[in-house]
Amino acid sequence: MAPNAGYVIAAFLVTALALGGYTLRLFARARLAKRRVQTIADRRRDG
Amino acid sequence: MAATAERALGKATSRSGEHLLGIAALVALGVSAVLSLVVAPPDSVQGEVQRIMYVHVPAAWLAYLSFFVVFIASIAYLKTRRTRWDRVAAASAEIGVLFTSLAIVLGMLWGKPVWGTWWTWDPRLTTTAVLLLIYIAYLAIRRITDNPSRRARWAAVIGIVGFIDVPIVHLSVVWWRSLHQGPTVFRLGGPEIGGTMLLALLVALAAFTITYAYLMTLRLRVGRLEERAAREALSPLVGAER
Repeated sequence: MAPNAGYVIAAFLVTALALGGYTLRLFARARLAKRRVQTIADRRRDG
Repeated sequence: MAATAERALGKATSRSGEHLLGIAALVALGVSAVLSLVVAPPDSVQGEVQRIMYVHVPAAWLAYLSFFVVFIASIAYLKTRRTRWDRVAAASAEIGVLFTSLAIVLGMLWGKPVWGTWWTWDPRLTTTAVLLLIYIAYLAIRRITDNPSRRARWAAVIGIVGFIDVPIVHLSVVWWRSLHQGPTVFRLGGPEIGGTMLLALLVALAAFTITYAYLMTLRLRVGRLEERAAREALSPLVGAER
């Protein structure tokens, strides 16, 4: 293994985790907000 | 009826556009990774560790771009008072904080083997840390008040004033004696690097910019959904107050 290759692997891994993690977090927030809107609509319809 | 169909069509088009942008970002990041890690040669002085520049430089560029968008959207909000500008500024600030943090962490991973230290109070590093704090404060201010117009107004002022630090960060390596290297690509006299290394860097810059565009569309949709959920939750209370 080339010298300092560990730093390169760590850098690309951190980048992938940050971008992937943030994207997944946005998907989760969208799902939660949609569910909240749906729950309120259901409650209103049921009176 | 026509309006409903138009809305449904618009929604479908925008979602398919979002998916296409997501796929484009993924492909561009994949190509960039291959160019950066396999095709580009190691640096003659720094060796393999120089490859970190293919993610560090684009992350720093996107920090600048994100906060420039916050700056423009904040001015537009104060001028028009349209909520959509506040939504754009908030989305871009959040993504900007992500990329600024990433640029700092990647810089530290490069600094340890090359400079022999994770962190030093160099002008570029210090002004970048200040930039991160400014936009964390921007996001924190947005949580202080529940009044949407007050929140948008306060945030817009910070979004405009805070942007002053971006040119300071960029020019810090020119203005002060700095351990951090000066501009390599966008400089008078042309880029200092060439061939495959320059190509890998330019592709990485393009890939990260497409990723920013994708994250913005996603974050704007989340912003719209969260605002709608808050509005729906409050509407019976508003009715009761009347």
